[in-house]
Amino acid sequence: MTTRVHIGLPVPPRNHPALLRGRGRFVDDLPFPGARHVAVLRSPVAHGRVTAFDATAARADPRCLLVLGPADVAELTDPIPLAWLLPDQRLDHVELAVDVVRYAGQPIGLVVATDRAAAEDVAELVDVRVEPLPAVASTAAALAPGAPRLHAEAEGNVVGRTHFGTPRDRLDEAFAEAHLVVEREFGIQRVSHSPLEPRGLVAEWEPGPGLLTVHASTQSPHAVRQELAAVLRLRADRVRVVARDVGGSFGGKVALHADEALVCLAAVVLGGQVKWVEDRVENLTAAYQGRGQRTRARLAVAADGRFLALHADVVGDLGAFAVQAGSGPLQVTALTIEGPYRFPAAGGTVTAVCTNLVPVGAYRGYGMQESTFIRERLVDEAARELGVDPVALRLRNMVEPGDMPYTTCTGLVYDSGDYSAALRSAARRVAPPSSAGPVRRGSAVTATVEMSGFAPSALIRQFDIAWAGWEGVRLVVNHDGTVTVHAGVTAVGQGIETSLAQIAADGLGVPLRWVDVRLGDTATAPHSDLASQASRALVLAGGALLRAAARLRARVLGLAARALDVPEADVVLDVPADVEPGSPEAVFRGASGVISWRELAHRAWRGWHRPEGVERIRLEENVDFDPPAITFAHGAHGAAVAVDVDTGVVTVEDYWTVHDNGVLVNPLVAEGQVVGGVAQGIGLALFEEVRHDPDTAEPLSTTFREYPLPAARDVPRVDVRHLCTPSPANPGGFKGLGEGGAIPPAATIACAVAAAVPEIAEVLTATPMTPERVWAALREAGIEGSPQWTER
Amino acid sequence: MNGTARTARAEPRTSLGEHLRTALGLTGTHLGCEQGDCGACAVLLDGEPVCSCLVLAVQADGCRVETVESLARGDDLGPAQRALLEEHGLQCGFCTPGLLMRMTHARRTGAPASDVLGGHLCRCTGYGGLRAAVERHCAVEARKEDQP
Repeated sequence: MTTRVHIGLPVPPRNHPALLRGRGRFVDDLPFPGARHVAVLRSPVAHGRVTAFDATAARADPRCLLVLGPADVAELTDPIPLAWLLPDQRLDHVELAVDVVRYAGQPIGLVVATDRAAAEDVAELVDVRVEPLPAVASTAAALAPGAPRLHAEAEGNVVGRTHFGTPRDRLDEAFAEAHLVVEREFGIQRVSHSPLEPRGLVAEWEPGPGLLTVHASTQSPHAVRQELAAVLRLRADRVRVVARDVGGSFGGKVALHADEALVCLAAVVLGGQVKWVEDRVENLTAAYQGRGQRTRARLAVAADGRFLALHADVVGDLGAFAVQAGSGPLQVTALTIEGPYRFPAAGGTVTAVCTNLVPVGAYRGYGMQESTFIRERLVDEAARELGVDPVALRLRNMVEPGDMPYTTCTGLVYDSGDYSAALRSAARRVAPPSSAGPVRRGSAVTATVEMSGFAPSALIRQFDIAWAGWEGVRLVVNHDGTVTVHAGVTAVGQGIETSLAQIAADGLGVPLRWVDVRLGDTATAPHSDLASQASRALVLAGGALLRAAARLRARVLGLAARALDVPEADVVLDVPADVEPGSPEAVFRGASGVISWRELAHRAWRGWHRPEGVERIRLEENVDFDPPAITFAHGAHGAAVAVDVDTGVVTVEDYWTVHDNGVLVNPLVAEGQVVGGVAQGIGLALFEEVRHDPDTAEPLSTTFREYPLPAARDVPRVDVRHLCTPSPANPGGFKGLGEGGAIPPAATIACAVAAAVPEIAEVLTATPMTPERVWAALREAGIEGSPQWTER
Repeated sequence: MNGTARTARAEPRTSLGEHLRTALGLTGTHLGCEQGDCGACAVLLDGEPVCSCLVLAVQADGCRVETVESLARGDDLGPAQRALLEEHGLQCGFCTPGLLMRMTHARRTGAPASDVLGGHLCRCTGYGGLRAAVERHCAVEARKEDQP
């Protein structure tokens, strides 16, 4: 039984003092003075055939060390395999050797030179000719009759289809009999993760032993290692990937990108160190993006307000090709469409479409932001059409604690939580705003359920996904008494290193600062395919660590009992809170005397005191935790907005959150995750949008001026509350919270805008709700601005 | 350079930020966008905050440059660093060095918190703890601590 001393305390993240001193170790900060630099050659057009690649002039430049073009790449690499396909999907790899480019920014080759500026100079000397082909800039264009076909494996530009939940014919029957059907078309734009630290890596090839070491800004070093080994035809044990400090990721750094693979290829070809850090333009135009779907959805409601059926027909934009997880976010939208409500019939249909835009990958919320927006807007619209209170309508249909475990129509099994309590808590705190003059005010609350702790390996296998879902830790008591945690999850600014230290300290019963946490190096970290994504790091690594600590503590107490020659039950570990691991005051006590923690650790590593017949000596425990089930966090958000009817500007004036993330290990980290997620959600709700030319599909969002990130003025103070229903699906009772804050804001803000201006509620079905779009909707609804503006 | 005379050659086209990081080995200053939009690379040039990506290294010739590396005194964090640490004003920490320099400037000049917040982008925190730290740091009462 773990005594909670550090678990639950708001401990400041342990890496913050170094970061505050400017001693971070982000990829570009690592001391590799001898590294040569890469400039990536990218397609200037969104669709075209590469007809010439002539590097003669580039190679003549004395600063040029290497040029790689499509022919070299074809000879030296294999494609990146995909992990998650739709049932009928034939596109099953990411091409590295490109003769047809399918998005503007797609890597075609690269140049290596003596420094970054030289590489960019030399890149301009490479003569790359691309014969343009007609491009498609949206799913609508891609699905139109006669549209240019992007891939032989995708007829009609459809990469694959699937359906989850109640069969479509039964859904149609349920809708046919309903008192009210609310049907809308929803649009969720493409967004950019835009971590402040762009992607980057330093690859080093040692030709003697044949070892590739890659320092990368990544969430998933083991996945990158496996993918690199496959692409470069190397043995897995000759590739090491190391992630030190990572400057934000949000899903954008989960998978190996083609350009990253090419940089590693350059290192292997040249030998020694090769470095590439993308610039902001590359990050906005060539790094995988998130979201992007048009969805027709309908909700059936009985006269008494009972929900009868829900169906979402999701058409998702994969971009130029399917990436490793491909249509994963679209499938999750379909799977999670029901949210916290009971439905006799519900389902989601997915059509994944390729376009000549940047490929789309994971982004914080992973399809659940989309499903929440669709469902919560439909529910709010149903309440408006029925003339009932939207909170009451939600409460009428909620899954209650007594229903747990609750199986949705799409087959998800909710484990625990009081969804109504969260919604009531949020609704109580949302103050009804007052409207006056040209500024209308409104407020709303929404509810959501968040899949977290993804996932049992058996479930992942059932979905035919080529990943492992378990998580491993190695917990060590070193010979000097210090404690080291090695885990497969990674630190990307979310504070996991600190939370794991808190868990290890409590699990062993030692002070927090005795514990060091080492993450991100495939040479020392336990294997992990998914690492820190899908709100899983704390749930799974934390669960494994609690078990490891309990086992190691029992072993240490057993050794102490033998050292003191007393029964195990009579040994007590007595460690004052502020002592070092080598302190003579940190002792095991028995009736016969004491032995210090450090002395015992030292003896244990010598092999002393172990029972006869026991071979195990090392004072460490390896534990793999494969969870029995996904654990579902949940929450409710409230927003109060002001809509300026003169300008169409929407301002979020107040924001409230209630989340149930089970047992909180570090409330400071938890609050930071929620508020940071809300800010990203506000950006998505109101202004973030990756835009492309509708005809050429070339990017229009190439800087932070065309792709503005939320600034301090855009984000109000966020009121954060937590409920606690411990998860039954892991030893710590944890539920994930990395994504929860980002999931509901767009839905909540749109519902609040609808409350402020009910006249435009029906058309509030797409994000971002920019001033231009809101203004147009207001005018369309006949709402004029102040006279001094309309008279002009 | 942080109180010490430093000499290093720079190409005319090299930005101050890149020069600090490469020629002078001061990697605390981070380049987030290299277009003057994000504020991560802010340093103080003769006491004024500048985006070091928009200033050429040669423009800093003979100037006083202060970076994040100058803010702590031995083991003791400076006031801006303490405020961010105690208010959980950072997560990944990549943008933090530029914010710290703008906070330092504001405290010296009496500029309001809104000036600091208006020039800085953070993708992680949602400005929760960050705003609390900047407001605390720029408050009139806080500045009294700085009087000898």
